[in-house]
Amino acid sequence: MERLRDKVRKLLAEGKAGGYIGYKMVEGHPLPHFFTKDRLSEVDEAIVPPGDARYPLDKLLLQVAARYPKETFAIQVRGCDERGLIELYKWGQLDPDQVVLVGVACPQDQADYCECSGPFPSVIDYGEKCRPVPQSQRVTRVEGLAEADALKEWLGHFGRCVKCYGCRDVCPMCFCKECSLEHPDLMSTGMVPPDTIFQLVRAIHMAGRCIDCGLCEEACPADIPLRVLYKKANALVKDLFDYETGSPTAVSPWKVLGEESTLQTKPM
Amino acid sequence: MADSNFEPRILAFLCNWCTYAGADLAGVSRLQYPPHIRVIRVMCSGSVSPHHVLRAFQKGADGVLIGGCHIGDCHYLKGNYMTIKRMRFLQDLMKFVGMEEGRLHLDWISAAEGPKFAQTVRDFTAKIQKMGPSPLKQAARAA
Ligand code: SF4
Ligand code: SF4
Ligand code: FES
Repeated sequence: MERLRDKVRKLLAEGKAGGYIGYKMVEGHPLPHFFTKDRLSEVDEAIVPPGDARYPLDKLLLQVAARYPKETFAIQVRGCDERGLIELYKWGQLDPDQVVLVGVACPQDQADYCECSGPFPSVIDYGEKCRPVPQSQRVTRVEGLAEADALKEWLGHFGRCVKCYGCRDVCPMCFCKECSLEHPDLMSTGMVPPDTIFQLVRAIHMAGRCIDCGLCEEACPADIPLRVLYKKANALVKDLFDYETGSPTAVSPWKVLGEESTLQTKPM
Repeated sequence: MADSNFEPRILAFLCNWCTYAGADLAGVSRLQYPPHIRVIRVMCSGSVSPHHVLRAFQKGADGVLIGGCHIGDCHYLKGNYMTIKRMRFLQDLMKFVGMEEGRLHLDWISAAEGPKFAQTVRDFTAKIQKMGPSPLKQAARAA
């Protein structure tokens, strides 16, 4: 922890970052906190929260950066958070030159729980690299179901949705000003559960963008296995377009038409 | 599932420059095809969002047909590059959740291919007829 605190202290004191988005213990709860040079002593209390206490720090950075567009900020990132930043750079929401990473590697039990394929960032200031989980068993199980059984299962899940929008609101990758989930011509209004397609529409938007942080699933009061849906959406993007979400170099298939079209239509 | 009284509802998104013109040609050539299809004309197949397709299923479509220009012939040059990416992705996602990917069909049909248009509609209608009503519709009714 001291190594991380030293780095943050230095960044703030030397003015390399106008602020640091990290965590602090508040009355026994690890909460996101914005550290600044003016209150440098607070950095003594900067922590890495336990694996299962997580907030969408990328989303907080989006807000802070929008308010102070010229400033550079430091931010605590896990593997997923860094993938998120990379996607946000690609989608023009943040400038990589104005972000400094303070990296945290997730512990093995967290990576296993998340079935995370990239449980550490490119910079590590705290923790040790652990083993990634390349294939999600939760996805594999659903893939193995007969179509009718899969549908029954999903309809059961979707039917519990209370349309709180928690999944969208917590998502670090949801940055649109207008949301098609609220478009009255595209989604029925004034009813719960919402249209059956609600979660599928979200899955489409998250394909190649979801960085698999799992916050939506944790936020969902209806215990809908949202992550399974988005993990599959990302796996499809990988299979069809060879695009790895959060890859620092590859170009998202949804951003460009492409030089050539190699996909074939499916036979009837 | 197959119910002889079942009249499938099929929604088609056809691009203005190729498939819609192909449908027009089928019409003026007096080619016969089943009347279950409702057509929405769009400027380019690349302007059809997967959300539109899902919305159609939500609203009770038993099948959705997307028609665009052949690759290389899109009047916006590469609009249909995006069409096929989106629709292939959506078909696979529909399969994963058990929505029967075959209910969504994408075909390239040019302005000169009136007979191909009529045949595609015939084949697709027969296929949907055989599959029966969309399970999404049944779920909506049960709710
Ligand atoms: S796991 Fe959920 S909250 Fe996290 S990026 Fe993906 S969709 Fe958004
Ligand atoms: S968080 Fe869960 S209950 Fe709330 S809108 Fe999303 S899927 Fe529905
Ligand atoms: S104009 Fe026909 S597919 Fe683009």
